[in-house]
Amino acid sequence: MRSSKKEQDSLLKWFQEKLSKSSDVEQRSLGNSDQQVNLMYLRSVSDSKVVNQYIIRPYYEMEEEGVYEKYIASFPGSKSSQDAKEALELLLNGYIAIFFNEGTLYLFDAVRAEAGPVAEAQTEVIVQGPSDSFNESMDVNMNLIRRRYQSGDLKAETTTVGHKSKTKIAIMYDETRVDPQVLKELKKCLDGINIDILQAAAELDKYLSGNKYRLFPTTIVTERPDRAVFNISEGKIILIVDTAGFVVILPAVFSDFFTAMDDKLQVLPVGWFLKGIRYLGLILTVLIPGLYVAFTSYNPEVWKVQIALLVAGSRATVPYPSYIEVLIMLLMMEFLTEASLRLPKAIGPTATTVGGLILGTAATEAGLVSNIMIILVSAVAISNFVIPMNMMGFTIRVIKYPFIFLATIYGLLGIVLGLVSVIMYLSSLRSFGQPYFKIYALDRIRTNKVQRERENG
Amino acid sequence: MVKNKYIYYLFLINALINVINFVPRGLIAQRFNGAAMAIVVSVPIGLTLMYLCVKMMNKFPGEGLPEILNANFPRLVSKVMLFGHTLFWYFAGLITLVAFVDVTMRYITSDVSPLLIMVGFLVVVCLAIRLTSESILYGLEVLIVINVPIIIYVLFKALLNPMFSWDAVMQVITYSLKAPSYGAIAQATFIFTGYLNLAVFNRVFDKVRIRQLWLIGIFGFLTLVVTVFIPIGYQGTINVERHVYPWFSTADVLRTKNFIIERVLFFFYFTYLTLSLVSSIIHWHVALEMFKGLFTTKEKKKRKIDPEWWMILAFCAAALILMNTNQFVRDRAGLLYLDGRLIAEMILIFSLYLAHKRRRAKKRE
Repeated sequence: MRSSKKEQDSLLKWFQEKLSKSSDVEQRSLGNSDQQVNLMYLRSVSDSKVVNQYIIRPYYEMEEEGVYEKYIASFPGSKSSQDAKEALELLLNGYIAIFFNEGTLYLFDAVRAEAGPVAEAQTEVIVQGPSDSFNESMDVNMNLIRRRYQSGDLKAETTTVGHKSKTKIAIMYDETRVDPQVLKELKKCLDGINIDILQAAAELDKYLSGNKYRLFPTTIVTERPDRAVFNISEGKIILIVDTAGFVVILPAVFSDFFTAMDDKLQVLPVGWFLKGIRYLGLILTVLIPGLYVAFTSYNPEVWKVQIALLVAGSRATVPYPSYIEVLIMLLMMEFLTEASLRLPKAIGPTATTVGGLILGTAATEAGLVSNIMIILVSAVAISNFVIPMNMMGFTIRVIKYPFIFLATIYGLLGIVLGLVSVIMYLSSLRSFGQPYFKIYALDRIRTNKVQRERENG
Repeated sequence: MVKNKYIYYLFLINALINVINFVPRGLIAQRFNGAAMAIVVSVPIGLTLMYLCVKMMNKFPGEGLPEILNANFPRLVSKVMLFGHTLFWYFAGLITLVAFVDVTMRYITSDVSPLLIMVGFLVVVCLAIRLTSESILYGLEVLIVINVPIIIYVLFKALLNPMFSWDAVMQVITYSLKAPSYGAIAQATFIFTGYLNLAVFNRVFDKVRIRQLWLIGIFGFLTLVVTVFIPIGYQGTINVERHVYPWFSTADVLRTKNFIIERVLFFFYFTYLTLSLVSSIIHWHVALEMFKGLFTTKEKKKRKIDPEWWMILAFCAAALILMNTNQFVRDRAGLLYLDGRLIAEMILIFSLYLAHKRRRAKKRE
């Protein structure tokens, strides 16, 4: 009897030592000196109501310690642990450590997770369709998905990333549809992540894809449960990052970044039209600045005569070559976008008014930039915003500068060189072993045909 | 492993690219001496070679020519053959690039120095040939799908133009019954050679099947007819031979009426520049892989700089030197290449057959 008491003491001591200088540690002893049960927990992450109601009060209502131990063990979420280190981790997580007389240690789940309510999606707004979004709690997020995907095939495995943050990550996928190779590769990647703190889903995306210097996002980061569920049904894997508010979908292909969730709701031709508009926007936003430089400085003969004269006339007062004009205006536009992104909501509109209206008009009147340039810059900005996924939008914002550079050196030829390079680069990318940039539409028609044949016998 | 459809793209890229090369010029030069017959004859020859090559390649699933030759022939023989093939593929890419530097200088930007243009081409091509074979095929598919509508547009524009002289075409067709020379046949069969890139790309194919061989035959035939007769229809039976790039001169004849870009030449240039680049990428990718096959040693040493870079550097250096040749030398070399190509192709297919036999004999032992 004495020896086990000693064991309990030494275990308690070890915990106290580990948690010294933490003011939010609570330690309580229940019972008399002979029969003693010790509690230890962190006030900041454990729910004190639970402690009072389910742990302290029942102890005094029960006669025997053996019964109490059984009572504690019967709760879902309580664990008996031998490993002190693991116990400490759980304790930091919000569990309550209960030390019994015989030296056994129970951990009681009393985690208090603070998270915002399920709010409306902010970054991927759609017109019709569900508007709820993921929040910072993993359990809520899993609930949002499970409710929409009620199948036994939906699996959820959890693991942690980050030496200090111990961020929980749930890997969810449909067992019957997922590509096992991708799953294997993902797990290997997750094990290989060697960082201290993980706070955002987009950060995870950065570490997963290996190559730091790649230009295009190879995983989707979304806040929409419906997108996540749709992708699960297509055989993709989603990673829910606890405390992040966003989930990661992988593997991603290029065309995924040009799909909005309400495409599915539209009648088919309208859906195609909207998709076409987005790709057109992509082409325009990337090529317009480069083409302007190429056409004004190298190949004005490409245009019809009237247009060539119009552009030349509008540029008559501009005192420097076209590429400087383009760069100045584009940089101003980047500043404007960046400024209005980070500004508090109350000041935001002012920046746009000052930048867009006053600066634009004044610059053309002063003769520093041509009128046509202003039109083109606005067209570039607007068509950039057409891209529904933010990550891709940022990439595209960067991509147009190399095109300007190439157009400055080579003219029209440079644009073609750039296009071929970008396409070859995109084709060389892989998202978890899956090709990133292929014409999937052609494959899909074929697979649909095969499927239909199979269904018809 | 990639899907079977990519074999068609490999065929298509060669068929499409032929119009900028020496094929139309060679055939047009012999328009009164059997070019038309050469076109007719080249179809069965091209299809037979294609069929045989695919059949032979299927005997070695997932293997490229370097592996096949190295495994089944004496070292010296395989090295000589690989070196020869490397040269042929290297020249295929180089001719396209050099021709395009010239075209760019003539038609698009005379302000940029040819050296700079060549450097631009080389940077893009050399960075791309190091990609995996799969990636190159994906890129090829995308570029072809983007460009084919433009080609069809230009074709319709050309054929529906009232200035197109059908009489000139008829005039040349009356010379159809002349027996063709070897050179004309070699030039005409060039458009079917795309499948030969299987020599390396076979590594990523599961099993190649070509269905509807006759459709490829018809497509090839029509391509050749268009290649030769559209320039004749625009520039006349006699004057057509005065153009160095008959197709670019033809495209420059056309203009759009209701669009912001007036000259069709620019669509044509855009399309053919992208296609030429990707075609050069494919050819040099094959050349590079063959060249690497030359130096395979049993034990693999890890070196600081990938030896691939030295090979690419050699490719670039040779390209920069050879681009300074004059028009006549280039012309002669281009036609010589086309003549030699047909023989090299047959040798390649025959060597595959021998390799297959030798391997079977070895297995029986």
